[in-house]
Amino acid sequence: MLRAIWLTVQNEARLLVKDPIVLFMLLFAPVVIITVAGYSLGSLYGGAANSFRLPVINLDHGKLADGIIQALRQERAVTLEMLDDPGEARRLVSQRDRTPIAMVIPAGTSTAVAAGRQPRLILFVDPVRRVEVNALELRIDELCRRVTDQARATAQVRIEASGKDLREKIKRLSAEIASEQSEIRSQIARTQTALEISIRTQIAAAIKQVSDATEATIKTRERQAWADVQQQLSQRQAILLKIQNYLTQLQSSHRAFEDWLAKLKTMAGSHASDIPPPPSFPRPISETELAELAKPVTAPKLDPTLPATASVAAFSIKIPKGPELRDGNLIGDLEPFQAPQALTLPGDLGFVEQPAVVGEAVTVNAFDQYVPGFGVTFLLIGMMLGIALTLFDERDWGTLKRLQVSGAPLTGLLLGKLFARFIVGVVQMVLLFAVGWALFGITLGRNPIALIIPTVGISFAAAALGLVVASISRAHDSVMPLGVTISMAMAAIGGCWWPLDFEPGWMRELARWMPTTWTMQAFNDLMIRSQPPSAALWPFAATVGIGMIFLGAGLIRFVSLDD
Amino acid sequence: MSPAEAPILEAIEISKSYGTRLALDNVSLALRPGEIAGLLGPNGAGKTTTLSILATLLRPDSGRILINGKPPKTNGHGLGRMLGLVPQSLALYPTLSAAQNVWHFARMQGLSRDDGTECCKRVLEEVGLSVRADDPMDAFSGGMKRLLNLACGIVHRPPVLLLDEPTVGVDLQSREQILMRIRRYADAGAAIIYSTHYMEEAERICDRVLLIDRGKLIAEGNLEKVISLGGGRPRIELTYRGQLPKGRFGSLAGVREIGAAGIEGKATLEMNSLAQVAEVLYGLRGLDVNVIDFNLHSPNLSDAFIALTGHTLRDQVL
Repeated sequence: MLRAIWLTVQNEARLLVKDPIVLFMLLFAPVVIITVAGYSLGSLYGGAANSFRLPVINLDHGKLADGIIQALRQERAVTLEMLDDPGEARRLVSQRDRTPIAMVIPAGTSTAVAAGRQPRLILFVDPVRRVEVNALELRIDELCRRVTDQARATAQVRIEASGKDLREKIKRLSAEIASEQSEIRSQIARTQTALEISIRTQIAAAIKQVSDATEATIKTRERQAWADVQQQLSQRQAILLKIQNYLTQLQSSHRAFEDWLAKLKTMAGSHASDIPPPPSFPRPISETELAELAKPVTAPKLDPTLPATASVAAFSIKIPKGPELRDGNLIGDLEPFQAPQALTLPGDLGFVEQPAVVGEAVTVNAFDQYVPGFGVTFLLIGMMLGIALTLFDERDWGTLKRLQVSGAPLTGLLLGKLFARFIVGVVQMVLLFAVGWALFGITLGRNPIALIIPTVGISFAAAALGLVVASISRAHDSVMPLGVTISMAMAAIGGCWWPLDFEPGWMRELARWMPTTWTMQAFNDLMIRSQPPSAALWPFAATVGIGMIFLGAGLIRFVSLDD
Repeated sequence: MSPAEAPILEAIEISKSYGTRLALDNVSLALRPGEIAGLLGPNGAGKTTTLSILATLLRPDSGRILINGKPPKTNGHGLGRMLGLVPQSLALYPTLSAAQNVWHFARMQGLSRDDGTECCKRVLEEVGLSVRADDPMDAFSGGMKRLLNLACGIVHRPPVLLLDEPTVGVDLQSREQILMRIRRYADAGAAIIYSTHYMEEAERICDRVLLIDRGKLIAEGNLEKVISLGGGRPRIELTYRGQLPKGRFGSLAGVREIGAAGIEGKATLEMNSLAQVAEVLYGLRGLDVNVIDFNLHSPNLSDAFIALTGHTLRDQVL
């Protein structure tokens, strides 16, 4: 078996070398188609591969119009043609194959923009050439935005310069005001101090005058009151002396009664107990106390000094302050005016594309899609030629039967042919990537070697598919119609010609069963999304799985037909 | 050739049907080393089916094949060395050179690299193509292609060679070359089955004839035996002047008028033996027949073929 496989591989290599048509199909044709597709459909990916003639009628002749025209002149994809007559521009657009679009810059556009209005450019378009029109409109829209942004940026610079100048002036004024405020504050402070001293002096003098008068009056009145008290006390002292004498006599009478009573009791003898007790006398005031009454009244001694009064200096004279002067920081007051929203033009809401993966490119080289896409397409077609068609050739030539007579197992011959074409497929894809890199600058991803993973997968699946087509085709002539139909359908549905997202949902579901889908996913991941090689492993497994189904079905069917 | 030798290739009671059509019906044959067996039969008789079964390309519905006394499967990888097939159509790679074609089949048929190189060189010399060894096959004339086709079948010197109309469409010189090579190859000890529609080729190189029709082996044996089975007699074809009445030749003894009677100036007379020729010509003179020309025809394989298989067009039947 292995010998048959190896010898078949060698023979396939010899046959391939001798077949310039197949070599053409494998290499030259894909490069031609890739070139055409890449340059024709590059705008689908945001590129500008095409070159367009663009008539422009400048009725404005302002700065903005000049800016737009200058920008258009720098566009590689645009060949500018300056006209004077809008009618001529209309004619160019309406005549087939002349130009898809013409642009008129109306008079007053620059002035209107400068005045903050929103003037509009006029585009004459050919609706049939909608794809080109869309691509050009995108470019013009971007240019307009760029020019407008430039104008806005210039205005913004001017505003900022004015603002800066204004701030400088305010700052200067603010400093001057602050200085004036400081001087005023000093003057007020000095005035307050002088006023306070004056008031304090005046108050002290007034207090002293009042105090002296009051002291003299008090002293006079004190003397008069004391003389009057002395007189009244002398009268009352004489009466008290008489009372003192009476009380002294009363005390003598009490003692005499006591003696009389004692004598009486003694005389009463046994009847002394029948004598009722005499009424008691109140206890007499002591002699000492009575002596006190007799003492002369001493006039109270008044402190002739006036109570100490607070010194004038201790007075705190509060002079009500006038309204506080504000600080002279005008810059602080004007800060709100310095805020960007106050000093900048209203912004233009737009977007910036960011890669979802670090290192991934935002813009896509259309050839990053078309080189692998059409490479896979021609790989499939190559397998139809190289396997399905040559198997029929070998049947027709009789070589297959002759080889079987040699004892080589049919399975070995088929596997040998498949393996040879598998190698050819891998080499074909590698060469296409090399050409794509050299001619079209395609991205080879983080690790170009990793591209071999999906390449191997699709080469295997395509080779197995070639066997399936050979086994289900009824005749030599039906191989190409059937094989090419299957190849084209797989390529188209699998996203080889356009992004898979263009397809409706049911078609995308169907695409999951196509090896082309998984292969393109892997190529896109590795090349455009800059994913690591591991990202290609699952698509590779899916591709090989589908290829194994093809291989099994093809072998069973082909061998059974031979029986 | 030694007839006593054991057969190297045997088909024992093989039958094969395609759907409801019986292509081979209980056919048995045996082939010995050094023997060329002509496989003859009209279109659709079963020749290609027989060859395909012998070449192990087809499995018979019943019966068996023995190569060297053993079933083909037991020969394993050596089967390629035992068998050589030269198919009717050119089983070659058109874009490859003669040397590359021969080399590929040599290697596929089990030769080592060194043996393959040597055998390629030798066989290309044998068939006279060594000077064009590096030219692509599709640049060859029809005869050279046939020679190359033969070379690819014998490059590994198989002891059993199956030839399916190897001289179709070639010029006389190429045919002579091919027939000479085949004869030499058989003389070297190979057993050959030679399928052809050209009866004279079979007569020239075949030791034995296998006549097959409608899937059955209807005649087998050496040339004389098969010709005799056809029951043919010598004939004399006459061209004469004037017109003769019908039945004019009836008076000639031992002669019977056959063929296209009534054609002006032409007649075919069947004789019992060639020895009657002088007698017949003398008798015609006596009958006032002015003979301008005559041809003698001995019974041959074609006669036997027609006699045994009939005149019906088989392609129309099929």
